[in-house]
Amino acid sequence: MAKVIVITSGKGGVGKTTSTAALGAGLAMRGKKTVVVDFDVGLRNLDMVMGCERRVVFDFINVIQGDAKLKQALITDRRLDNLFILPTSQTRDKDALTREGVEKVINELRNDFDYVLCDSPAGIERGAHLAMYFADEAVVVTNPEVSSVRDSDRVLGLLSSKTRRAEKGEGSVKPHLLLTRYDPGRVAKGEMMKVEDVLEILSIPLLGIVPESPTVLSASNVGTPVVLNQNSNAGTAYADAVSRLMGEQTEMRVLGPERRGLLQRLLWRTA
Amino acid sequence: MNSSPRVEVSDHTQRSSVAPFQVRGRFFTAIVLQMAHAPDPAFFDAIDAMLAQTPHFYANAPFVLDLDRADDIDPSFDFIGLTRELRNRKITLIGVQNGTIEQNKAALHAGLITLPSGTDVLPETRKQNAAPKEDKPKPDKPVDENKNHKESAAKESRIRPAPVAYANGTALLVTEPVRSGQQIFAERGDLVVVASVSPGAELIARGNIHVYGTLRGRALAGVHGDSAARIFCEALDAELLAIAGLYKLSDAFDPSLRRQRVQAFLDDGTLRVESLK
Repeated sequence: MAKVIVITSGKGGVGKTTSTAALGAGLAMRGKKTVVVDFDVGLRNLDMVMGCERRVVFDFINVIQGDAKLKQALITDRRLDNLFILPTSQTRDKDALTREGVEKVINELRNDFDYVLCDSPAGIERGAHLAMYFADEAVVVTNPEVSSVRDSDRVLGLLSSKTRRAEKGEGSVKPHLLLTRYDPGRVAKGEMMKVEDVLEILSIPLLGIVPESPTVLSASNVGTPVVLNQNSNAGTAYADAVSRLMGEQTEMRVLGPERRGLLQRLLWRTA
Repeated sequence: MNSSPRVEVSDHTQRSSVAPFQVRGRFFTAIVLQMAHAPDPAFFDAIDAMLAQTPHFYANAPFVLDLDRADDIDPSFDFIGLTRELRNRKITLIGVQNGTIEQNKAALHAGLITLPSGTDVLPETRKQNAAPKEDKPKPDKPVDENKNHKESAAKESRIRPAPVAYANGTALLVTEPVRSGQQIFAERGDLVVVASVSPGAELIARGNIHVYGTLRGRALAGVHGDSAARIFCEALDAELLAIAGLYKLSDAFDPSLRRQRVQAFLDDGTLRVESLK
């Protein structure tokens, strides 16, 4: 039976899709059969970040509406055998998601996979609500700044009350904090919140600290999850986060953005 | 010739600087009557039977009609007559909820207010056989930790998603962080939170509020009018504190009290926030 994990945040632009791709690829690299599901109907990005936007034939909405079978909509990742993507529709919107339809798809996915990662849209309305509703665990992606922390806190409240597990009293959705776009230099200057301050407000276990890194944008541009980049601090941080997600004790390393070498700083505009 | 306009200063403007009234907020619990259809003689018989059972419970309680299922109440329905009939039975109808636009217009015309639908709670008519009395305030009495609270907390969380439990007596006990956007309402008495309260969260209590953690949201104590209610917290970082409707915003707190153990109470009509040392 699979673990269904929602990647959520409340705030937009903090790194949910990047994290879903990285954690999904990371789990697949560790031998787990993983599927990443895009819940952001109408504003889909997961397929682009995974590099399979040109191979989308059928999508999540097609499956919900019975126009296609799940097997037809699932896309196999070209780099990792264990990794699959269920893209969503770009032409429809969140009203096309129904609770029954989502439940049916998630249950089918549970049977075939070890991990089902649900990439939630930003906000707290229907799309976000359905992405978290059937989850067993949640990765709450947060930037170390006040608005993101406030929104993540709101989402934590919803996770403990508006999910299937909460409503049926089956134990709560297990939350994990993933701190992203972390810049130790700005934290030292007091421009960004310290890890301890974020943890004091959110009070949930820390899954990982992903540093701000130009490699993230490059990864998204070429459609490769950043965890596959050996030279990326963000990628390393995601790999550590994957270990912790699998229950392994891994020491927390706080990495900063990659230091530019002298030559790079002189010629900072790369070709 | 110089003719400057003469300005007459009225005597009234100089007379008094005391405001004729103060605006305060107040919570109360209304009784909702969910109508299955428009009232008929059987409806009034049922009302009479209900009143015969517990004559004092409903006296002076504000009543609200829920029109969600009452499709046969059309705009020509006689709300004024209904209000009068109910008042003859000592029931005061103050408003309606879940009505259609036309039903609401008719209700407004009859002097009733249209309320947004709120969260309904089942009134415990069996346990209370008299109208709820104002408890004598005991602000210094600590809330004893109920030995059974862990059990009742586990049971409660099966029934309701929010992690709350009523300890012995009337205190509401919360043991998990209160998240932004959550509202905890201790309608029977005190509210005790053994965790922190996030910004954007609201604690509301009939009695005192005790936070064994950092209070970052809003806390409103004594909401049914108990001006002896107090608010206690381990670390003050609140957005707003209010007692019996009188409130103070965070920018009005003494900066030296920030993140300190404080208590807030009413003293002669002023909301005072003082350090607990």
